[in-house]
Amino acid sequence: MTFSEGHVEADGVRIRVMEAGQGTPLVHLHGAGGPRVTRAHELLAAHFRVVAFEMPGFGQSPENTRTRTMSELAATMARATEQLGLDPFNVMGTSFGAKTALWLALQAPARVLALVLESPAAIRPSGSELPSGPPEEMARRLFAHPERLGAIPMPDPAVQAKTRPLVQRLRGPDRDAELERRLPGLTAPTLVLFGTRDAVIPPTMGHFYKELISGSHLTFVYDAGHAIGAERPEAFTEVVVDFLERHEAFVISRTPTVIHP
Amino acid sequence: MKVSFFETARYRAPQDLPAEWPVPSGVYDPETGAQAYQDMIERLQFVEELGFDWVSVSEHHYSPRILTPSPMVSASYIAARLQKIRIALLGPIVPQSNPVRVAEELAMLDTLAQGRLVVGLLRGTTNEYLTYDLNPAEARERTDEGMELILKAWTEPQPFGWQGRHFQYRTVSIWPRPLQQPHPPTYALGVSRESCEFAARNRIGCGVSYGPFEAVGKATRYYREQCARHGWEPSPDQIVYRANMALGETDDDAHALLRQQPDRAPFALRPGVRDAFMKLDARNIAGEARAPLRSGALPTTFIGGPDTIIEQIRRCRDEVGAGVLDLSLLPPGWGDRDLLMRKLELFGTKVLPRIRDI
Repeated sequence: MTFSEGHVEADGVRIRVMEAGQGTPLVHLHGAGGPRVTRAHELLAAHFRVVAFEMPGFGQSPENTRTRTMSELAATMARATEQLGLDPFNVMGTSFGAKTALWLALQAPARVLALVLESPAAIRPSGSELPSGPPEEMARRLFAHPERLGAIPMPDPAVQAKTRPLVQRLRGPDRDAELERRLPGLTAPTLVLFGTRDAVIPPTMGHFYKELISGSHLTFVYDAGHAIGAERPEAFTEVVVDFLERHEAFVISRTPTVIHP
Repeated sequence: MKVSFFETARYRAPQDLPAEWPVPSGVYDPETGAQAYQDMIERLQFVEELGFDWVSVSEHHYSPRILTPSPMVSASYIAARLQKIRIALLGPIVPQSNPVRVAEELAMLDTLAQGRLVVGLLRGTTNEYLTYDLNPAEARERTDEGMELILKAWTEPQPFGWQGRHFQYRTVSIWPRPLQQPHPPTYALGVSRESCEFAARNRIGCGVSYGPFEAVGKATRYYREQCARHGWEPSPDQIVYRANMALGETDDDAHALLRQQPDRAPFALRPGVRDAFMKLDARNIAGEARAPLRSGALPTTFIGGPDTIIEQIRRCRDEVGAGVLDLSLLPPGWGDRDLLMRKLELFGTKVLPRIRDI
């Protein structure tokens, strides 16, 4: 599955978009490390029209000194989805981008079909630092088993330096009272995923989302680190697809166990 | 008529609980749970003293309503603490278990309990499909295959392999085998055509529950017809009927008690899950389709003072053919401890001695 690249204008900035697949749109908002097409994106594109944005200030885009809050970034991304004519759509947010996704779903409830939060960083233990360091150190923070993954593309140090102030500015406090006050009003069916070996955000943060978002679901992906979709793409994709297709009825198994007919 | 008391361990939550299934584990209070199990033993000692024939336990998960997720554990503990009463394990949810493991544990339990075990095997209620990710489309056939494998594991003297649809083993040869030979009294539990046919084909008992006499009677009638087709006739002991009873000193008293009881299912499934189950799960009474989920509380089929209740039991014997009643005297988790003890005493002294010849 190859992702094609395009651009869209929103709030006066040019936003890069990577796209593959057909069907109901699935918008992906990346983590603080910037956009990266993983095996999970490819697997998801077999079921959905996957639209992975490069949010302003990340990846190849110019430095973003304009966006002041996560809620503003979400509004920009909502406008980008409008420009692409996506309506309605699913949203998947990863880590930092999960918080953007939450704001987007709160701002445009009628447009969001369902929400997937991969290792969300919207609620953190107090004193959480952004992961940083040389590539080997970053790999150990992001993956439970970096040794199994072969070459891991790590962000360019220059890109990291460019995005760090933006991430620091937008990620908000460890417990964001304004966001948490609004989460009980979130209407989109929501699935929260954590890897059991997440070394960036402790998976024990998961229950806060369950408590705050009525009817939400929490799933632990065994033996995955922070980058679940990159590390255990099949396990991640199976539950995400099932949830996006069936929402809360995804709790009913449809896995066949026939050995011999 | 034989009588069984359906024991649910009666967890009485110290605070209001979320009304949804599953109920979050975080709101469970360990001390209250410990007290519930202690009360259970005290209650069952009284049940034994009163002369009940069996105490039954069931398998239910993720809810305070019936605090016995592992019927093997509850039955073992009860068997160790009581001396005479039979322990009816009604029953392990077969489609979500390893059938060989079930056969081994039940054989071990029957032996430990010195042959006091009664076994019911079942598919399980619809919500339980969510517990261990059971595919509703496969639940029936996994149940049938699992039940057959359990019976085979108990009775086949030579090591054997099993090339099933859903289960596969190269070698099965269980130790111990049950103390009761060839196996403990065993029931296929359920009103479905498939369950009745399985029971008839395998010459085991049939267990029905909660429906009015007319509905469950349809199932037991079908079971007896099928038994006849297979060339045998079940004894009254081979039909067990689990039911709710509202017993009072008088009829008025019983109706007043019933009015106080909740008329809704306490921990409902979410609407999206419920709707999906209505489409995905298929249930029937002796072949006639019925909804997989109920909207309200389970019905109470015996209501009245002792004389009325005895008359209803007589009618049940005629219409359902049941020789064993498995009774709840108060809804699980509702009403205080002492109220249930008083109901047990009333039943044990005013009803039980008068229904033995029914």
